[in-house]
Amino acid sequence: MMTWTQEHPMTIVGLVLWAVGILWLMPGRRASKPRPHKIGVLIVALGLVTFCLSCGKTQSELADDVMFWVFAIGALMSGVLMITARNPVYAALWFALATLSTCGLFLLQHAPFLAAATIIVYAGAVIVTFLFVIMLAQQSGAAGYDQRSSQSLLATISAFVLLGAISLTLQSEKIDIVRPVVVAADSSADSAPIAGNMSLTFNLSPEPPVIVPVMPGNVMSKAKGKTPVGNLKGLGKSLFGDYLFAVELAGTLLLVASIGAIAIAPRREQGAI
Amino acid sequence: MTPDEQRFLLVGAGLFVLGAIGFLTRRNLILMVLSAELMLHGVSLTLVTFGNMHQTNEGQAFTIFTLTVAACEAGLALSLVLSLYRKSHSLDIQLWSELRESDMSGPDFDSSAERGKLSSYDDIPTLTPAGIAPKDPPRTTPSTGPTATRV
Repeated sequence: MMTWTQEHPMTIVGLVLWAVGILWLMPGRRASKPRPHKIGVLIVALGLVTFCLSCGKTQSELADDVMFWVFAIGALMSGVLMITARNPVYAALWFALATLSTCGLFLLQHAPFLAAATIIVYAGAVIVTFLFVIMLAQQSGAAGYDQRSSQSLLATISAFVLLGAISLTLQSEKIDIVRPVVVAADSSADSAPIAGNMSLTFNLSPEPPVIVPVMPGNVMSKAKGKTPVGNLKGLGKSLFGDYLFAVELAGTLLLVASIGAIAIAPRREQGAI
Repeated sequence: MTPDEQRFLLVGAGLFVLGAIGFLTRRNLILMVLSAELMLHGVSLTLVTFGNMHQTNEGQAFTIFTLTVAACEAGLALSLVLSLYRKSHSLDIQLWSELRESDMSGPDFDSSAERGKLSSYDDIPTLTPAGIAPKDPPRTTPSTGPTATRV
């Protein structure tokens, strides 16, 4: 009993919410002012969803599930609200929220460095620059072109046909992935290798699993010896080992882009913006 | 492919499609660039999921390059938007539909009041129609032209 309550707290929360909602909706003993109906329906729905989602799941699985759904719904809803926002400032802020949710999904995929870098680059630089440009260019309130969209029916239909095709392909085909064999980092050679488990728990331990190189295919993406996967060390080894020239090229690209941005941007002598 | 990976890929595809809708429908130049960035988010999430699926670092390494290119793109796009705004004093993308070829039909304008706002700008380049040889422009004789008197 005690272990069950400790392992399934969300189930109990769901049951309690369900009961509270039924009590809320019940007509009272005294003929008093009726309670608002919508709140009771909301409480019952919340309890039911919590109970159904938490059935037959342990706490860590449930935590992963809840975090995934929070971040996924956050990203998709922020995207919808961003592309439908009438005010471009609100659109930029919704985009920032979508970026943060995407970074949460990166964290769930064992990419903490990438999440931090994306937050720094997007929320720190891109959003601020966009907001500056919006406020420079739109000083006179709402513009007519923000209130109307062009060809929204065609664009939405074709985009959702594309999304349906992607979903169909992802969910109908049995795609075989050659999974590498993961052994523990400190295990000796004679220990039995465990098949690669793809659990979504945070893997921030100092001893990450290393990959025994069994992957065919791309020479670059072959796991090399004791290269750890998913943390900063492995990413740095991959970036500055396999992709050193690409990193130099990316630096050159940044330089060229900054020079180009300075050259393209209007000068102040030619007229104030 | 486990269902865990599938749902991450589906969220990535959803972000991409939302960005595509925004890019196609919105008429604000800045919102179009922002929608392109949302598409890049979807691609990044898909890349990271692929890397996690195969237990390699390549997905995250590619995503870092995507991040670099997105930063370059944002900088260049914003300076382009600023220079376009200087010419038209508006962020409406449909004002620039006059850059199309002259024998193509243009997009439907919502209001005729916004049309022709750019016609006072003479320094906008125009495209010659493809396939048909353009006529020779009428030439003024050099004896009557204003340049002859200057020389």
